[in-house]
Amino acid sequence: MIIAAVISLILGIACGQFLFSPKLVEFFAMLADYALILLMFSVGISVGENKLMFRKMREYNIRVMVIPAGIVVGSLLGGIVGSVVLRMPLRESLCIAAGMGWYSLSGVLLTDLISAEIGTIAFLCNIFREILTFLLIPILAKCLNGYTAIAPAGATSSDTSLSILIKYTDEEVAMMAVINGVICTALIPILINFLYTLFS
Amino acid sequence: MSVISILIFLLIGMVIGWKWFPEKWNKMNINIQLVATLVLIFSMGVSLGSRPDFINEIVNMGVRSFIFSILAIGGSIAMVYPLTRKYLVDIRLKGEEDTDDHCGSH
Repeated sequence: MIIAAVISLILGIACGQFLFSPKLVEFFAMLADYALILLMFSVGISVGENKLMFRKMREYNIRVMVIPAGIVVGSLLGGIVGSVVLRMPLRESLCIAAGMGWYSLSGVLLTDLISAEIGTIAFLCNIFREILTFLLIPILAKCLNGYTAIAPAGATSSDTSLSILIKYTDEEVAMMAVINGVICTALIPILINFLYTLFS
Repeated sequence: MSVISILIFLLIGMVIGWKWFPEKWNKMNINIQLVATLVLIFSMGVSLGSRPDFINEIVNMGVRSFIFSILAIGGSIAMVYPLTRKYLVDIRLKGEEDTDDHCGSH
């Protein structure tokens, strides 16, 4: 999927730079809005129909929030440090870090809300996050603990990173990874909206 | 498009998924997500590529993105590790010990 995503991005950039007229560029901006609605609706269905996960969430109770809470706070702390290091406005930095691995949503959302530049940084940042996650999971599972291996994955722990988490951890961690991924997925648009409004 | 309207569609999807969505349509739903994601990314690429000074900006944006990803991952690990040690690993180990004791008594 990540390869398909990068190819799509490169093709889009090439078309925007060399082929498409301004009218066609406008059409694709409108198409992105509809695709985003469809994606959110479809992701909502995936979250809602996962009944086993809801049963497990009741079983784990409040402990189910330990990993998502750590990931949210940790990512935002990373965003604050990024704002200082890169001398970027705090609002933009926090919104970029709040993407938590969901590159398509954070990229498009921040392009809409702030600018194409911030949207691209969010997109690339979260693509890098996913690639680095693949490399880090085996190391974290071995050197720290299985649950910590979920940390870099963020929202992707219930889909693209799940197979690697299953390979290097156990069933209990895999179930936590699914729950974490769903919670982070539902949180990301809320969090980005909250941070954007709070610092506007 | 406002974030609120995006959230509303997420919520409507969740309710439909919870109440009425047939399991046999799961695969189709995943394919829809795949297509929508690729259309989104392509459209974002078009919007980026249409910027006249895009090529000059991309290297700078790439470096900043990489730094952000390292910091966000580092922060997440630094927060999750102590929390999981306190609330998940220790409790799990204790539970396993209890189960062992319980099994041993039979």
